[in-house]
Amino acid sequence: MKGWNGKLLRVDLSAGTCSVEALNGQWAKEFLGGRGLASKYLVEEVSPETDPLSPDNKLIMATGPLTGTYGAANGRYMAVTKSPLTGTIASSNSGGYFPSELRYAGYDMIIFEGRSEHPVYLQIHNNKVQLVAALHLWGKETQETEDAILAEFHGDAKVACIGPAGERQVLFANIINDKHRAAGRSGVGAVMGSKNLKAVAVRGTGGVKVADPKGYRDAAMEAYGMLRANPVTGEGLGALGTPVLVNIINQAGSLPTRNSQTGTFEGAEAISGETLAATYLRRNKSCMGCFIGCGRVTKLTGARFEGDGEGPEYETLWSLGAACGVSDLAAVTKANYICNEYGMDTITAGSTVACAMELFEKGLIKEEEIGMPLNFGDGDALVKMVELAGKNEGFGTKLAQGSYRLAESYGVPELSMTSKKLEFPAYDGRGLQGMALQYATSNRGACHVRGYLVSPEILGLPEKLDPAATEGKATWAKIFQDFTAVVDSSGTCLFTTFGIGVPQFAKFCTAATGEDFKDEKLLELGDRIYNLERVFNLKAGIDPAQDTLPKRLLSEPLPEGPYKGAVAQLDKMLPEYYQVRGWGDDGVPTEEKLATLGLG
Amino acid sequence: MLQVQFYSLLRLLLKQEKLELPAVAEETVEQLLSRVQQQIATPFLQKLIDCDGQLHAGTIILINRQNIHHLDGLQSRVLDGDVIAFFPPGAGG
Repeated sequence: MKGWNGKLLRVDLSAGTCSVEALNGQWAKEFLGGRGLASKYLVEEVSPETDPLSPDNKLIMATGPLTGTYGAANGRYMAVTKSPLTGTIASSNSGGYFPSELRYAGYDMIIFEGRSEHPVYLQIHNNKVQLVAALHLWGKETQETEDAILAEFHGDAKVACIGPAGERQVLFANIINDKHRAAGRSGVGAVMGSKNLKAVAVRGTGGVKVADPKGYRDAAMEAYGMLRANPVTGEGLGALGTPVLVNIINQAGSLPTRNSQTGTFEGAEAISGETLAATYLRRNKSCMGCFIGCGRVTKLTGARFEGDGEGPEYETLWSLGAACGVSDLAAVTKANYICNEYGMDTITAGSTVACAMELFEKGLIKEEEIGMPLNFGDGDALVKMVELAGKNEGFGTKLAQGSYRLAESYGVPELSMTSKKLEFPAYDGRGLQGMALQYATSNRGACHVRGYLVSPEILGLPEKLDPAATEGKATWAKIFQDFTAVVDSSGTCLFTTFGIGVPQFAKFCTAATGEDFKDEKLLELGDRIYNLERVFNLKAGIDPAQDTLPKRLLSEPLPEGPYKGAVAQLDKMLPEYYQVRGWGDDGVPTEEKLATLGLG
Repeated sequence: MLQVQFYSLLRLLLKQEKLELPAVAEETVEQLLSRVQQQIATPFLQKLIDCDGQLHAGTIILINRQNIHHLDGLQSRVLDGDVIAFFPPGAGG
């Protein structure tokens, strides 16, 4: 095989064994790699009814055929499993350098199964693979863990690990690699913790062979030129990173504020990318093979908080900031560092604290239970709550369950801003109708990176759509979702899609693998992945009735801003979406549809 | 008066957050852009529009928080008391 390494590592944690298997070539052609191919393996090997934190669940770390190449920001991998937070299929993406190193060691993916009796971590040095004891690492934060592994294993290794949150099975624990990059959402770190797997450390000294080197070089040169010339990827993302969105989305009246009670945050300027650049930002940073450099290296100095690291990114500035009504950038930045050190998804962490703040202000949670007041806008309380969640102790044991279970435990699940139990990211679906549809239909729950309709609805890329309109959004959602599935499966950063499109990905995938991935074939591949995930979810009991949004978004109008009075008009879009997908009126993929995709 | 707000790269480039200008009758966004440029020494228009005078893909200009894409584009009128925000192309996720 070219493009793919053609090998996967299977690690049986119960038996303590590691073995190498040939990658299923037919599946690779049908599902590409990364999210798609790992989902195929998960669907074939894990029952949808499996308890996500049991040894029967599996955790797959998967690269794509473009990972580790010089194409265009090809430093990505996917962590795929069944989510303990949502019960859906989960796939969380991360960049940095760990994914490429796994490819250079000779593997396309790792499948972890079973559960180790004691904490272990996996060492990979090309073809030398072993599980080693990790009791001495258990309890360490993510950056300490990486430093310890580099010191004892190999100084040039790349490390992905969990922090204390993953060990203690906080349901939104993530997997951190290269100290600061996160496979963030859906609780993939909790699954890793349930297996007593602390880390994966890999040193690879090989390369990646593509089928058509000249074709690949031509595709890379074309993509490079397009990305360089594009104002977003060529300049904007590097200069201010994702935090530039705080002011943009706030001006659009769609920055969910105080647990989505409004879409305009009066303190947005104080937590904006512009303010971050003027205060704590030190420099930007890139993942492997990327010139965009959207990463934010920051340092926090002051009497109240200290620390350094990466971020906060836009989603975090919102979740720990506007969602909680907090305009204290130092507190937001500190809470971001704690999330990264404990290994937690900042979106769910912030949104869960926001939910708790509303429960407190409504009198449903008493101060005695929390141990302190928990009002919107209180930065110090935010930092304390995030720390308690990471430790999974005190009131943090309730926060550690995510906002849905928290609100449900007080009899008000409707105050959880989730779809399929996954917290919304930083865009209010009442102001962006396409995003409302995307949240409701995303296979891993409310998510922005399953179909980023913010791009046409707000940013005007590739063309400007009216965010208030519902017409045509079903088709846009499907195209974005399918294309995103392709990008996620290729090993490429989603940010490249601001500058390059399906034709460029078709050239990359064809030249890398030698398989004929025409434009339409690539989009069909994305459709196949989306349907594969959908069928898994249906069998897991996630029925189409859950293709919905919380009551707040459906029936409480935005109280201010340019979309004042708007609610999410899901009823106008969902039937059309099912039709565009080729599903029945009940939201279930038809046998004919599945047959056309080779999933029958 | 009109209040013009600069965001993102423009703020880094111009080192100022806003500018107040007297309103001019019947003025369009296109004309306002030229007038703002005349008052600021640092060239900045190229961050928002291309050499043909068209908005870059991704440029956002808001009048009272309404995107001019949904008004009359660069021919949208600005009125006394309006707040006009300029965002060069940026993105995130």
